[in-house]
Amino acid sequence: MKINRDNKISDEIPASSMADIAFLLIIYFMVTTTFTATRGLDFGLPKEDDNPPEIEREDSVHIQVNPGGSILVDSKPMALDNLLEHLKGILKENPTKPVIIQTDPQAAYVDMVTVLDELRQSEEKIGMVIQNISIPTRREIESFWF
Amino acid sequence: MKLQQSQQFTPMIPTASMADIAFLLIIFFMVTITFEVDKTQVLLPKTHIRLEVPKKAAYVSVTEQNVIKVSDGEELSNQVPGVEDVLSFASTVVASDPSKPFVLKADSNVQYDHIDKVIDALKQAKVEVIYLLSEQETVPVN
Repeated sequence: MKINRDNKISDEIPASSMADIAFLLIIYFMVTTTFTATRGLDFGLPKEDDNPPEIEREDSVHIQVNPGGSILVDSKPMALDNLLEHLKGILKENPTKPVIIQTDPQAAYVDMVTVLDELRQSEEKIGMVIQNISIPTRREIESFWF
Repeated sequence: MKLQQSQQFTPMIPTASMADIAFLLIIFFMVTITFEVDKTQVLLPKTHIRLEVPKKAAYVSVTEQNVIKVSDGEELSNQVPGVEDVLSFASTVVASDPSKPFVLKADSNVQYDHIDKVIDALKQAKVEVIYLLSEQETVPVN
């Protein structure tokens, strides 16, 4: 009688489906990946000072941001595109003069950000860095100026 | 004379290295992935100036419906009832790390009144730097 000797056990690890599994994992990663915004405008807050310098309104440039995005610079209406040129003339004599952004409570957040973004572009637009940009809160304005 | 039989080629795409390539891609994804601590969906304002937000920065997000969420940069963001809670949260974070940067992730259309209160709370908590999260402003091509 002839004995059948075909029962050979393969010593290979089956890896034929490895690529399929790997590509499934890649597709999972690609589908679940979300692109997030990780950039923004920075502004430093003043450190606590026991004797803060008193700044009168006349010693600073005051930008009032109204609802809709219109602005008043020292109580005069101005287009946003003309803001930096206007400031260039003022800050040429005193570059450390504070530029204060005061936003109407009814205005949208984007209105304030647009003005701040314009001021931060001063170096490339007018070749001058505005050194002292301040965004006082309503509580600060009421406690310091009124 | 014995004629040599022509060699037969079986058409085949070599796929032996496919798994290696795929696993390299997976490793790339796993190494470069960053986990968001704040997944709040907001319409960010667009700006020209955009600086990279430091990693592990604390987050305060404000949605159009004035829902406020906070995260210390380590754990996922949680909703807080009001602005007063932003002050206590920020004070706790600053107490453990005085130079911790904060990110304000607010919807473009939120009334500034709410943002003013949030910024005031951060100022009172003696936060040193705030990043106003934004998207890239695109310049129209003429």
